[in-house]
Order: sequence, then C-alpha cells, then structure tokens
Amino acid sequence: MKRLRELWSKIERSPDSMRLAGLSAWRGKERGLAVFAGVFLATLVITTVFAYGIGLSQIFFQTSLENDPYDAKIDLDAEPWENNSGRTNDTVLFSSICDELMSMDEVADCAMIYGRQGIRTTGFFDREFGRAQPLNIESLVSPEGNWENVSLSYPEALESGPPINGDRIVRIAGAGLYDGEFRERHEEQILYGSWPTPENAVELNAVVLPSQLANQAGARVNHTIDEITISYVTESIALPGEIEDCSGTIQASAMEYLYCREEMTIRNMTVVGIYEEWIPGNPTLLFNPIFISDSALTDSQKVILMDNDHGYLGIAVDRSQLPTSSTSEAADWLTDLGEKISDKNYTSEELEVVYTDISGGSIIFLNIFLGLIQVFDYIIMIPIVILSISVLIYGLILSLEQRRREVSINRVMGATALGLQRMVLLEIFVISLAGWFAGYFLAMWLTPLVLDAVGFMSFRTGDFEVDPSLSLTMVLSVAMLTIGLALLFGRSRTKEYLDLEIEEGVRKVVKEREPRRWLHWLMLGIGILAMIESWIEDEEGLGPIGPDGLLENFFIDGMVLVFGPFLLWIGGALVLARVGASGPRIMRTLLGRTPLLKDVRRGLSTSGSSEAIYRLAVIMLLTLSIVTLAAVQGFTGTLVDERTSSLQTGSDIQVQFNVPLTENETRDALATAFTTVGLSESADVAMLTTVPLLLTNEQGEDTNYLTWVLMENNDEVLMWDSQAVPGNDLQQFQDAISSGYFTSGRDVSRDIDAPDSKENRERSGSGEWQGDAEEEFALTLEYNEINIVMSNDTEEEELDPMLLFSLLESDNNMSHMDFSNDDFSGRDLGMFNLTMANFSGADLSGANLSGAVLVLTDLRGANLSGANLSGAAILAMNPENPMENFMQGANLTGANLTGAWGIGNLFPTIQSNETICPSGEPANESGCSLELDIPLEIAMQMGSGMQFELDIVTRNATVKYAGIHTWVPGLSSAEATQALIIGEATWRQLVGEEAATSLNQTKWFINLGSLADENDGNTLRLIRAALEADTRVSSVIDWSSTHRDVERNGGLIFGTPGLLSLQFVVASLASIASAFVFLSLVLSQKKKDLAILQAIGASPNQVIRLTLFEILSIVLVSMVLGVILGVGISRAFNGFFAVFGFIFQIFGGTNTPINRDLIWPWWELLLINGTVMLVVVVALFFTTRRALKADLSMVLKGE
Amino acid sequence: MTEENILVADYLYHIYESKAEDGNVVALRGLHCRVKKGEAVAVVGPSGSGKSTLLKCLGGLMKPSSGFVSLAGNNMTRLTGKELVELRQRTVSFIFQEGNLLPNLSAVDNVAQPLRHQGVAPRIAKAKAWEMLKDLSMEHRAKARPAMLSGGEQQRVAIARALITEPKLILADEPTGALDPVTSVQVLDIFKELHKNKDVAFLIVTHSREVADFADRLLELRDGRFVAQRGGDVDLSNLESGERDIFMDELGTLNLPPDIVLQMGGSGTYRVEELKAGKLALVNVDTSALEEVDTVLRLVDDCPACGFTYSEKEMLLCPECGSSRPKVSV
Repeated sequence: MKRLRELWSKIERSPDSMRLAGLSAWRGKERGLAVFAGVFLATLVITTVFAYGIGLSQIFFQTSLENDPYDAKIDLDAEPWENNSGRTNDTVLFSSICDELMSMDEVADCAMIYGRQGIRTTGFFDREFGRAQPLNIESLVSPEGNWENVSLSYPEALESGPPINGDRIVRIAGAGLYDGEFRERHEEQILYGSWPTPENAVELNAVVLPSQLANQAGARVNHTIDEITISYVTESIALPGEIEDCSGTIQASAMEYLYCREEMTIRNMTVVGIYEEWIPGNPTLLFNPIFISDSALTDSQKVILMDNDHGYLGIAVDRSQLPTSSTSEAADWLTDLGEKISDKNYTSEELEVVYTDISGGSIIFLNIFLGLIQVFDYIIMIPIVILSISVLIYGLILSLEQRRREVSINRVMGATALGLQRMVLLEIFVISLAGWFAGYFLAMWLTPLVLDAVGFMSFRTGDFEVDPSLSLTMVLSVAMLTIGLALLFGRSRTKEYLDLEIEEGVRKVVKEREPRRWLHWLMLGIGILAMIESWIEDEEGLGPIGPDGLLENFFIDGMVLVFGPFLLWIGGALVLARVGASGPRIMRTLLGRTPLLKDVRRGLSTSGSSEAIYRLAVIMLLTLSIVTLAAVQGFTGTLVDERTSSLQTGSDIQVQFNVPLTENETRDALATAFTTVGLSESADVAMLTTVPLLLTNEQGEDTNYLTWVLMENNDEVLMWDSQAVPGNDLQQFQDAISSGYFTSGRDVSRDIDAPDSKENRERSGSGEWQGDAEEEFALTLEYNEINIVMSNDTEEEELDPMLLFSLLESDNNMSHMDFSNDDFSGRDLGMFNLTMANFSGADLSGANLSGAVLVLTDLRGANLSGANLSGAAILAMNPENPMENFMQGANLTGANLTGAWGIGNLFPTIQSNETICPSGEPANESGCSLELDIPLEIAMQMGSGMQFELDIVTRNATVKYAGIHTWVPGLSSAEATQALIIGEATWRQLVGEEAATSLNQTKWFINLGSLADENDGNTLRLIRAALEADTRVSSVIDWSSTHRDVERNGGLIFGTPGLLSLQFVVASLASIASAFVFLSLVLSQKKKDLAILQAIGASPNQVIRLTLFEILSIVLVSMVLGVILGVGISRAFNGFFAVFGFIFQIFGGTNTPINRDLIWPWWELLLINGTVMLVVVVALFFTTRRALKADLSMVLKGE
Repeated sequence: MTEENILVADYLYHIYESKAEDGNVVALRGLHCRVKKGEAVAVVGPSGSGKSTLLKCLGGLMKPSSGFVSLAGNNMTRLTGKELVELRQRTVSFIFQEGNLLPNLSAVDNVAQPLRHQGVAPRIAKAKAWEMLKDLSMEHRAKARPAMLSGGEQQRVAIARALITEPKLILADEPTGALDPVTSVQVLDIFKELHKNKDVAFLIVTHSREVADFADRLLELRDGRFVAQRGGDVDLSNLESGERDIFMDELGTLNLPPDIVLQMGGSGTYRVEELKAGKLALVNVDTSALEEVDTVLRLVDDCPACGFTYSEKEMLLCPECGSSRPKVSV
C-alpha cells in the first residue's frame, strides 16, 4: 500500500519534474550542449554505420536478384523411375499446380517449363546437386544465318558454380512464361525483337536466342528454324559406376556422373527475339538457354520429357513483399514460403512437390562476403564511434562540474542524494533524447548518400533505391546505447560527488586520480611500432630490414597492424595532449619577447595543469587526427580505385574478339560502332594497340616464360602507372623496352637469377636503373614455331596441328573434364574423345584407351601401366609451347602403344622393355618415339599423296635486363609476376618479320581520347554496347563501367570512399562543435579569473588579448600535433588495409598490386583547421566579451 | 540535553585535511553549544574562527571529525544518509549571505523546491510557495528568475524558501551581510515576527549590531571554541566592554577572550591566588611573559583587502569592505 502511494506520488510529480528538467536543460544550454553534441554524434555515427550495413546488403541483394528472373524451381517430389505415387507425367495435370500456387499472395507468376531435371537436395555444395542435367542442344538447322560453324558448347557454365554441364541448353516453356510477371522480367533483357506473347508463342513456335549464339550464327528476328535437336537424360549414375544399356550416347560430367543421353527433334520454329545474356549467378537452372515455346513439342515428346524428370515449374515471387531490411530476414521469408509450398499436396492426384529456392540461394552466397565487408566497415568506423563517445563523456564531466554549486544548494534545501541524482539524470535524459532524435533522423537521411559515394567526398544520387530502415530492436538498441551511456556516466559521476560532503562542493578538496601514464605510453609505443612496420612493408624493406618488416611472426604482425593504428590514435592523443595543454608556455617562449605580449606577459598563467584544458587538448587531438586520417585515406582510396580500373581495363576500352583481327579490321569494327552510336567523330580519333603474347625460353633451358610484347605506340594507349615499372620512370622504361631491354616479373627475376633484383624492388627508393649499371645482365631468348608441313610433289603447305586433330572422330565425349587422381583402372575408354581432359595422377592401369583421342590430354604422372593405347591419337606437345609435355612422368610400363601416332616426346615417360612402342616393337634403351603417322582416312581428307612432317623453327634474340615490372595495364596482374616484357623490335626478331607484319590479335586496347570522358562516361558505355553487338566480339570492358564496379565491390572494401567521407564530415563537425562547447565551458570556469584581472586593473583589451593568446596557443599547438598524429595514423592504417586485403583475398576477393601510395590533401586539411580556428576565435570573442560585461562584484562575490 | 533544547552540541572537533606545508587545519576544537526552543542566538567572531564550519556541523550538512550533535532530540552523529536528510527537512533551514538561489528556476519554483524534495505534490508545493511569497510581499516577482531580482529580493526569496518547510531552527550565515540597511531592517522584522509568533529558534552568525540586538544571547567564537557569552545588548564594535560570561567545561578547560589575556599581561605562568566555590583568582608569576604577549597580539594598521587605514585602534571590521581585521606579529 505504502509502495503504491509512493509510486502514485512519483507519477503525480513526474510532469512537474520533466518540466523542471526541460527548463533547466534549456536554460543551461551551454553545459547541455556538450551532452547533446556527444549523444548526437554517437547516434549519428552508430545509426549510419548500421543503416549503411543494411543499405549495403539491400544493394547487393537487388543486384543479385536481377541476375535471375526465377525465384524458385518446383519439382515433383518423387523420382520418375521409382514409379512412386504422388507423381504424374500428365503435363496438363502438372501445370494445374500453377493455378493453386498463383492463388497464394506471395507467388506472382508460375510457368510450366521443360529443362533441368528435378533437384531433390539442398545446397550447391552437395554433390547430388550436380546430378540433375538440363536439356542440351545438339544441333540446329535453319535455312537462314550460318549455324554450321556455331559452337554449341558453353564452357563458361562450368566455371560459374559447380561444373554441371558445359553445353548450350534449351528451356521449353509453357504459356506461363510469356505473360505476367515472367514476361516483365524476361522482357528487360530483350535486345532485338520482343519477348513472345502467349499467342504468338503458340502460333510461331517462338524461339528466343541468347545474343552470343545469335551473333555467332548471324541469326536475326523472324528467321525460321527448321529443326532443333535436343538431348535428354534417361539415366544417370555416379562414377565409377557404369551404365549398361543406353541407346543414346554415354557422357560423363565433371561432377563425376555418367549419363545416357538420347535425342529428340523439335521442328518448325521462328526466332521472335534475341536477349542479352544474364551474368551467370545462381547455378540452379543453369545459364542462358535457348527459349522455345512448348507448342513446338508433340504430346508424346512432352510425356517423354516428363517421364525423364525434365519438367518443372518456374516460380516468380512477389518481390515487393520480400523484407528488405536485411538479407537474413529475406532469407527467412523465402524459407518460410518454401516450406509452405512444399508442405502441401496439390491437385486431385495429391501431388507432392519439392521447392528449390533460387533467390534464397543467392542470399547465402551474398551473406558470406557481405559479412566480411561489414566487419571491415565496422572496424573502420571504430575511431569515430570512440570519438563521439569521448565527446559525450568529456562533455558530461564538464557539465556536471558546472552543476556542483547547484547540487550543493539543493542539498542544503534537504534534497536526498538519490533525489538529486534523479534530478541530474532526468536533465541528462531530456538533453540526450533530443540529441538522439537529431542524430537518428540525420543518419537516416545521410545513409543513401553515403552508399552512393563515388570516390572521397563525391556523391551521386539515384543509382539505387535503398530504404535503409533499421528494425525497431536496432533503433532501440542504438538509443539505449547512446542515451544509456550518457545516463550511466552521468550516474557514476553524480554519485561520485554526492558522496563528497557538501563543504567540498564549496571548498574543493580534490582527490585527483593519477592518470595511468605508462598505459598511454605503451599504447603510443605499439602504435608507433605499427606505423613503422606498415611503412617498411609499404616500401618493401628499408635499409637492413627485409620486406617482411620488424615482426617476423605472422600472427603478431597481423595483430599489431590491425590494432596498432587505433592504439596510436588514442595513446598519441593522450600523450600529446599534455604538450598541447602547455601550449601557452611554448608560445610564450616563442613569442615572449615580441611587442605582442610585452605588457601582458606577466599576467599569463601556466594553465597547463588544468584538467579542463587538458581535455580540450585531447578532444582537439582526437578529432583533428581523425579528420586528417579520413581525408588522407579517402583521397588515397579514390586514387587506388582509379588506378585499379586502369590496371583492369588497360585503356578506355578493351575488346576481346573471338577471332584474331588486324589493326585495320579492329578499326573498322570500331567505326561501325561509332556509326551505331551516332557519333559524328571519325573512328580515327581512337588509338589502338595490342599486346602480343608468346612463350619463350632461355636458350638451352626448357623453362618457358610468358612473354608480353609492348608495341611502339603502347604508351599512347595503355594507362601505365609509374608504380608498375622499375625505377618508377615511365619514359625511361618505354625507351629501354623499345631499345632491346626487357623487364621481368618478380618470380621470373628469381628464376633467371637477375642481378640486384632485390634492389630493383625498391621501386620508390633511389629509382636505380639497372640499364645504367656498369655490368649488364643479358638473356638470350628463344622462340619456337611449330608447324606441320604438308607436302606432295607439287605443293607445300603449313597446317595448324590443332586443326589436324579436330578431324578425328570418336564415340563418346569426355573432353575438358577433370579426372585428376581418379581411379580408372581397367575401365573401357576405347574410342573416347578425351581432348584436354585432365587425368594427371589418375590410375589408368589396364584401361582400354585404344583409338582414344588424347589431344592435349593431361597425363602427367598418370599410371598407364598395362593400358591399351593402340591406335590412339596423341598430341602431347603444346603447339604454343613446345617445351610443355603432357605425358611427363607418365608410367607406360607394359603399355601397348602399337599404332599410336601423333606429336610428342615419349622420352620423359617411364618405360620398360615390356612397353610396346608405336612401331609394334618392345621398347629398348633409347625408348619409344611417337611419329606423325597420320591414319589414312584422315590423310585422305587433306588430299591424296600428302606427306606430313613436323617443322620446328627456332629464332632467338638477346635482351638486356632493365629491372622488375609489377603489372601491365589490362593484363592479368597475377600472370605479370611470371612474365617477361619485351619491346616490338625484339619481338620481330623472335617471330620473324613475316609473322610480325601480318599481326593479328584477339585482344585490342582502344584509347578514345576526349570521347572517354563525355557524358560522365556514358558515351564510353554506349560504344562498348555497340561493339558488343559485333558478332566477332566475345567481350568488351570499358573504363567507366569497370571503375563503377571497382567502387561498388573492390571499392567498398579497399577504398571505402563513402565511409571515409562520412568520417571526415563527422569528425570535422565534432572538432568544430567540441571546440565551441569546450571553450565556452573552459571560459565560464575562467570567468572569475577574468574578473579578478579586471579588478586589479587590466584593461578589457588586455584581458581579451590575454585570453586569446592563452586559448589560441593551446588550440594551435593541439592542432599542429593533431595533424601530425593524423599523418602517423594514416600511415599506420595502410598496414590495416593490407591485412584486410589479405583476408578478403582468402575469401575470394581479388588482389590488387596497386600500392597505397598516400595522397596528402593539404588544402582540405588547411580548410578544416582554419574553420576550427575561426570557430574558436568567434567562441572566444563572444564568451570573453560576456565575461567582461558581467558585473564584476557579482562574479567576484559568487562562491 | 533537556527537552527544551532544540540543539545540543558537545565536544565538537573538526579538522580539514590539507597537504599544505602547515598541515591540517583545525576548525573546531571541542566546542559546546546549546540552543533552547524558540531562542535566538547570535555567534560573533573574527574570520577563520570556524563560524561556517560550525553552522554546517550543527545543521547536519557535514559530519564533524568528532563530537556529538543532537537536533530536536535526535543524535545526528548516529544518523546517516536518508534519515539525516529527513531530520533536516523537518527541523532546520539555512539562510546564507547571498540568496544561493537556483539560477535556472523562477522565484516561486525556488521556493517550492524544498517541498519537492520532500515529495509533496507539485500543486500543493506551488500553492504554498505562492503563499510564502505573498507573506513576504514578493508575489509580484514570483515568476522572475534570480538574475532579475535585487539582492534584497533574492534574500527574501531565500527566506521564503527557508520558511516553507516550517522549520524549528533556522541557521543563518550573515543573513544581512549583503543587504543595505533598510532591507536589513525589513529582513530582521521578518525574523522577529517569526521568533515571536511561530516560536522558531535562530542561530545566526553575524557581525551586525541589529542582528545581535535581535538575539537573546550572544556567543563569542575564537579559534574553534566559544570563549564567552553575553546578553543581547552588546556593543559589537567593542567586544571588550560590557559584562560577559566565560565558559569552563567538565575537563576544566578554560578559554579566555584575547582582550582579557592582553589585560592580564599575556600568556605565561599564573598562580592560583584564591579558590572558592564559584570564584578563581590568578596572579602572574613570570614577568618575562608580559613582553612577549605585547608582540604577539597586534591588530594590523591597514586593511589587507582594500587598503583602508584603521583610524580607531579597536575597530575589528573594515568599514570599507567588511573584512575582519587580522592580527599580526610585529
């Protein structure tokens, strides 16, 4: 009862208490401002970082969803060959499930599709996932276009996700795919023609082709297609099992399954549209099919496909219902939907289905990488969170200090300690609530901007629609954290001085706790160590210290580099603030004798000991060093992004053709693109170059080096970076390369024992140029050209070896597959096409390989003992690299090679006298050899009476060493370490004038001059799109798009421009705000001093001068120290970035060889420091004037 | 310790710890004090004699280093925290030289504040505060903040604040020290009326003749001890004149006011000449002490605070700035 009454009285009093708290908060603005600023900044930063994380995942989510028009695949739960109940082969019945599904709110569209077989497992990492096969396209007959030479294999599919199938696939779809939501989603990708309507799909038996295939075939809209032969799978079994009766062909997949494929022909179709291919994302439905309307199928064909599990339902969910606040919520929503759908039975036949989530799968992929990025982002924001919290805490301490007197008065009036504490806390609560509101809403407004940041401090809007709303729990947590922190510190602080007796509120008996100086110095020490370590590692060794730096231990090194920058920051601020606080003493020593201070010198107090002033210095140091850090690393990151783009693209545009083109042909292609885009300029404005690539070896050695050739005009086209070349001097490098020098990648440099290769690595060091050294290191390079010379009595012709072998026929195809280290002992692979399959280290003992095609089949270290290789066609020597032997170390003991033929050296294989050589004789001491005894039927195709002979031409050139290069623009930077760079002249010597003159290449670099920058890079993107339409082009990348990708993906990690911009802005605000707040607090504490000064006869002018000098010298010294500290932290942060770069690389990110050479944005720093100074002067002016105006006697009498 | 005493203090010692060279400061040295219900007592003494410390110890704002204080029959030295605060709320109020008002609150909120601390409903507290202000004819300034009030008005608000809890004892530290003579009289009139009608006891530290006049008796504080007591009609400018009583405690400690020591010939050795019940006569036996004493106790010629030159030898307060006149050795 008593408790109730107390509670009631509390409630009754609360409006009044709130009123008083609000009143006192408002009237005591000055001291409240510090608390407000602290809570405001903390909320702003924490909320923005969280909202940023959510926005980030939304963007990732949106882009990943765009990759696939399908959200789920629904299969019948039962496998057809088990003849289970709950299954049907009736297409009409099966598609009626769609009607039931469409009645659900969540499902936007549903379509009956024939394609990939049923997937009855979850997860891509399950081997079983790879079993289900799509419908493959085997041949296509059309009276129009040129389909004969079109490749129907699609090896890209093997590289995107599990290697399930490497051929072009077909998707035969019912009307559901041609209307509604699916129509919209497919229409977006249409380049030519249109996505079929349900009507013309049936009428025309509509076909929609992927653009690459259409380009290759020259297919156009309205072309008719007479026949498409597709293959479906009737049986599949995991290796090493065997399929016994198969009326079709048996195939193996890299997922180690064997399939029996049978064929089916579909007739009379019309091309209705050509679509731009999707970027391969989720592998569930496989990629970029030919779409065919199911009206082209006969009913019996439909039944066959259903019976072989090739029918499924494609589902589009209503994506507007997907929770976008976080990926995990979206994943949960999709999982729930999946369960809801698969828990039901459908139709009158009680069909059971299994639901394979496609969007959800994308999310899993996404979450792993996203998590890493977020961790990195959170860590990067730690300083700014600490900063805002320290502003909050210092603000609280100072503001409570100011309340001492008030608290004493209240205690005299009979306030209990608890009541007083409650009163103070209520006021803090009111202020911090206001701060939180302001921070929260500003953060919500800021986040989309931060997400759209392109480079440091440059933003654009509207690229993405993000709605980074935080969940209620999140909002409450942030509020609790910031407001709670304010209250917590307020509480402990109030308690502390309420515990003191009242008289001490008046007569101060200070019990100062000794600060833990040793800790400050320790932090600073570790921080400096991290800075030096990062410096050494950036410079790749310094003096006697190697590139690994001072710390050998990998783990300790990483820890120091990650935590060091933060310790440097905090320790540095705490230690240096003591110097900052004694700023007046320093300035007096410097300026003491000048007339400026002549008359007031004696009046200067040594205020360095004051706690408030020390705190002012700490805050100035903390904020300004972060401003410096953000600006330096922000600008640096932006430049790194630009350099990375240049490195990846090489020039404005990089084109990869399917076929080698000469410069003139490339220029013609470009001219066509210009016309398409409608540019008035002639294509002559562009400058072109290519980097021919060949394999060379050092004379007398059998190691091959990848060799890149820089043409004479390359420097006009390629975007070179001084970091990439030895000595950091681009001109010198180009001159040297064109006058017979070479550079090498780091690994090669070690291999060829290049002198002083270590010294040359110090790229930024002395810039020593090996070419100028007295002793020159030279290398004689050798280049082999292999040809098969066909001759009869009258003519002689050179023949590409690959072409010859492509004429061979085989029964089964297991080409391009990876069987390394598998057990194939005793297996029958007779007449198999094993072109480019990998059997390295595999056990093929006793296997039948008779008549097999072993073209570039990797048999290195394989066990072929007792194998039957009779009549096999072998190409064991890489025509582009004669030194590479694909049979190196293969065990041929007891193998039968009778009648085997081809190109290759059997010398490095293991043979015994049980080995039967191709000639039919047992091997002797000199071993067997392989001859180019081309079987008659092949030889006949080349013309009768032909003689074939292997012709190897070797040329050489001597080049001088010029140092180590790091990368070549536009070429793989990973390969660069293993490559040599030579000049055009050297190259001509190696390949011969004839080959050099008729240079044709597949990769061309184009510099578009000023066109590249037009319309924010949009012109560039248009030209790129126009080039892509060219049938000979396989891919085009442009600088502008690459730059955007780098910023979005790599940039978010390595550049983090948005967050650093935010950090810069917030830290600048914090430094300005805290300078203002702390100054007014310090000055109101000094009010009495000022009054006394006046009382003893100082003029207002002198008082102002004195205060200005005293405070400004503290601020100025702290400012200088803050910038110096910031420079140190920026340097230390390079190590931090390096560690994270390494971690990202482990988790599948890409490595960039770009060095983070720091950029020093002095102008921006000057601007911020100047603003802080201005604010300080203004604050000083106002407060001092007010202090001067105040009634002297009143001020002096008080307390 | 009888029922009639509202305040009893015995053996009060208080020591301020200090790390300064001359060591700890002893503010109170075994002080005894009694205030009866409804009695008005004035305390006089030079600066640094321990007046403020005494007030805080008696009012329960501070715990003495040792000793015993009883307020309205409750032993305060035994009470802690909340109980102590509650006892104070019921019995004591403070009035200071300056108003010591809360700067951010209006006059009426300031007056209502003690009741708020007692948990009284805001409505009632405010109504009572208005009433108090009305009694002191301050209702027209009720909404004003302290900075807008004159010194007298501030002090009146402070008095209203002190009275709102209906205390039995008011402890005041120079309540008229910062006021002009007219306002001082008004304030004293209020005190007198309270004293007469409401039977409130007063313990007032003062230098003012008017205040001393108002008191029933006057205690003289020297170096942390009460040395003498007189009636209310004392001439404050000349404490040496008039009749006074001197205290001796149970232990026999006897404290003589400095002027008496001076008249007796200073410190030294004295022989008991006559000893009867209620009477003691002392005779000096060591003449050398006489010379020493002269040098020890000499009042300064100029006020150290404002530089005023004292014309009269006996003046103890500077008429210019109100500082106490210290003594120095010559």
